[in-house]
Amino acid sequence: MEVKQRSNFSLQWDEMQKIFRDPILLGTIIFVMVALVIFILWPLYAVLAQSFFTDSGSLTLQYYKETLSHSDNIQVLVNTIVLGLFVSAISTIIGFIFAYAHAYIKLPFKKLFNLIAILPLISPPFALAMSFIMLFGQQGFVSKVILGIQNSNVYGFRGLATVQILTFFPVAYLVLVGLLKQIDPSMEEAARNLGATRWQTFRTILLPLLKPGIANSFLLVFIQTVADFGNPMVIGGNFNTMAAQVYLQAMGNYDIKGGTALATVLLSLSVLMFVLQKYWIGNKSYVTLTGKPSRERALVNDTASLIVIGIPCFLVALFIMILYGLIPFGSFVNLWGIDYTFTTRHYKYIWDLGIKPILDTTELSLISMPITGIFGMVIAFLIVRKKFFGRSAIEFVSLLSLAIPGTVIGMGYVLAYNEPPLVLTGTGTIIVLSFVFRSMPVGIRAGVASLQQIDPAIEEAAQDLGAGTFKVFRSVTIPLIKSAFFSGLVYSFVRSMTAVSAVIFLVSANVNLLTVAIMSHVDVGRLGVAAAYSTVLICIVLIVVGILMLFLSKLGVSISDVQG
Amino acid sequence: MTTKNVKITGLSKIYPGHNGKQVIAVNNVSLDIKPGQFVTLLGPSGCGKTTILRMIAGFEIPTAGDIYIGEDRVNSLTPDKRDTAMVFQSYALFPHLNLFDNIAYGLKLKKLSKEVIQQKVHDILALVNLEGMENRAPNQLSGGQQQRVALARALVMEPGVLLFDEPLSNLDAKLRIYMRNEIHKIQRKIGITSIYVTHDQSEAMSLSDLVIIMRAGNIEQIGSPKDIYAKPANEFVADFIGVANIVPAKVIASFDGKTTAEVLGKQYTASTEAKFEGGEACKVILRPEALKLAEQGEIPVDVVSSIFMGESQDYLVKAGDINIQVKEYNPYYKKIFEPGEKAFLNIDPLSIHLIKVSEK
Repeated sequence: MEVKQRSNFSLQWDEMQKIFRDPILLGTIIFVMVALVIFILWPLYAVLAQSFFTDSGSLTLQYYKETLSHSDNIQVLVNTIVLGLFVSAISTIIGFIFAYAHAYIKLPFKKLFNLIAILPLISPPFALAMSFIMLFGQQGFVSKVILGIQNSNVYGFRGLATVQILTFFPVAYLVLVGLLKQIDPSMEEAARNLGATRWQTFRTILLPLLKPGIANSFLLVFIQTVADFGNPMVIGGNFNTMAAQVYLQAMGNYDIKGGTALATVLLSLSVLMFVLQKYWIGNKSYVTLTGKPSRERALVNDTASLIVIGIPCFLVALFIMILYGLIPFGSFVNLWGIDYTFTTRHYKYIWDLGIKPILDTTELSLISMPITGIFGMVIAFLIVRKKFFGRSAIEFVSLLSLAIPGTVIGMGYVLAYNEPPLVLTGTGTIIVLSFVFRSMPVGIRAGVASLQQIDPAIEEAAQDLGAGTFKVFRSVTIPLIKSAFFSGLVYSFVRSMTAVSAVIFLVSANVNLLTVAIMSHVDVGRLGVAAAYSTVLICIVLIVVGILMLFLSKLGVSISDVQG
Repeated sequence: MTTKNVKITGLSKIYPGHNGKQVIAVNNVSLDIKPGQFVTLLGPSGCGKTTILRMIAGFEIPTAGDIYIGEDRVNSLTPDKRDTAMVFQSYALFPHLNLFDNIAYGLKLKKLSKEVIQQKVHDILALVNLEGMENRAPNQLSGGQQQRVALARALVMEPGVLLFDEPLSNLDAKLRIYMRNEIHKIQRKIGITSIYVTHDQSEAMSLSDLVIIMRAGNIEQIGSPKDIYAKPANEFVADFIGVANIVPAKVIASFDGKTTAEVLGKQYTASTEAKFEGGEACKVILRPEALKLAEQGEIPVDVVSSIFMGESQDYLVKAGDINIQVKEYNPYYKKIFEPGEKAFLNIDPLSIHLIKVSEK
């Protein structure tokens, strides 16, 4: 009475019937796949194709040879890797200390930690580089006014590394604090109970548990550092990095081929790190095995911890606050480094120059916000809830765009949509598309995380009661993951407003963006104007996010959910 | 409401496994469930009972075989197009909707008028004793109340078939018995065809017209609760339902539905359906409560352990090498044997049930 044996393939095909008998679902999957191919894979292919083929279409390594035989470019590659390793290592250490302080020590100023974790997100990506120049540059307040140093040189490795560490260590902090809070305190109590000292417990229990998390934050910071475009452009000086060099080679030297060759090298580096992070580290967390902690950890409250860990953390946090504070402050100062009298002339200048970049940036970011939000939730839904051929490919490609350096994808967009069948160069559409596909992964991650916590039977119940796929998604799925949906919206808007690396290739006479405008003002030394633009940008972000939050609290979504 | 019959023919489900190892969850199962019947799929976890239920609801696609609900072959229909309503193990209430909207969800999809929906929800709430709670959110309800909302949400659809996926497993013991009786009462009152999946034999026994015992994707026995208990088809069923002493025996003679066998050195005659040959080895199923210990009688035994349980005295005795459990009810006024004592085991001849030795 045995059933007939069937091949694994035909059984999997049976599973696919669930998709085929449901035209709306099938259509959605095809739409998502096509969109990912056209707007993520095709631009990458365009970059690769440019770098490997001559104009007449024959395969060649000529451009790699030419570009990489240039000793400058080798230096740039070495710079990038050295800087990446250095910044990631230091950021992870600082992030860990902050996380430890947050999870273990009773401190009065912990809210400050979360604030400095949010600030890098809502300001232009090179904000700290600007502030750093204002403090320590040639006309720097500390270097010139306080210390009286003439011709202080803040540009180069030291300045760049410091700024990147201050910008990116919050990434490590957020990853590690999440893990520390998941560790059940009774495990540490068990160690203490068996005779371990606090230090021994830290070394033998905590550190081994956190190893995967530490590796994870190292790689995440590395990916971001390597992809960072704004800071090297602003404060890198002669210390060039790949992300900036790709742009300079292609747009500055008009060497598209060389640029794409460099971009391919940069892309390989980032994708390698992404794959390591996702598939090697991703499955290695022991912490989640132990589940939710049974109760809260009793916080340490002694003077030694306060002095050794608490005070240094506070000083670093305070310094970062001052750096960000300098931006609005600098926008009201007449001439930084020389004349510190109050003025509004920088804002007048912006007004006279035209506020089109401000309006364009806000408009395009607002347009991409709902598209990103909905698209992200649809993909999260497909990844978590549906089984179909190509599902893991969808997951990989959609999250990959987190790891693709902006300059690479920006260049890809220029190359891919410059000629038929799809001509988008110079339009707002191309910018919206880049916004959508650049900021979608975070929404997807939030969506995936919250869907995994929701019993699939709830959606099955809706379907069982007669709701079709679309109705289930609209009336059950979205309401259940609304906080992930809204955090996707918020993130999308914020990230679009502050994006620079990809869109710097895409701006044109028709559409210019705020961040790009700010960078060009920094470039020519008009720090006051740059600071004024940055202040406007931060205000717009705060206003829109504030309105969203207000709207959310009306809907009964708690704001802390959205930030989480 | 027209309640429907459910017919399943040659139903199989094989999951594509990793490294080519396929999992046969359901193996060529056929069933015929009549309108209004309450049928339970009973078995240990992983026996395929839930997979069958989910194939009927449309959440899983059969590898082979057909499913009919009423006259319609439903294989190619999505769950929303099938005339079934399911009560989920986790209840699966919509946490963002209040009690009224939870129950009205499916009615709204049917595009019924507001008044009709109001009326139906009102009636069903009365049926499950939840009047006046329309505006409560699911997380403001107790476990038993959530369970009743889940039941109401399915019942209000007036489906052709009602499906239950271990609906009581999240309740505490007392509430489970209460809800079991509620479900029984309501189902008998409205006479809806019901298919109920559980691993709890007392639920199966108390609720069902028909119990289907499953193991490893196969049906082991189909029968009324009484038959399943008193006349288990094989060792697995005997062991799975209640407590059974499965004792080796030898057939002396068998004709005309009467079989005489030697059990623990004594001869007994029982009526049998299966065919036995003289001299054949077989097994006898002895329920502990059908056995008695006495100072005199049929089979000499040694008392190994003796535990007072209140309602009963539970013995473990040895007849030669064979362990046998004996349950004496109402023991307080009877002679209690202590461990180490000698006693005699008496078997109620009517309760003897012979089965074939199953090849494992």
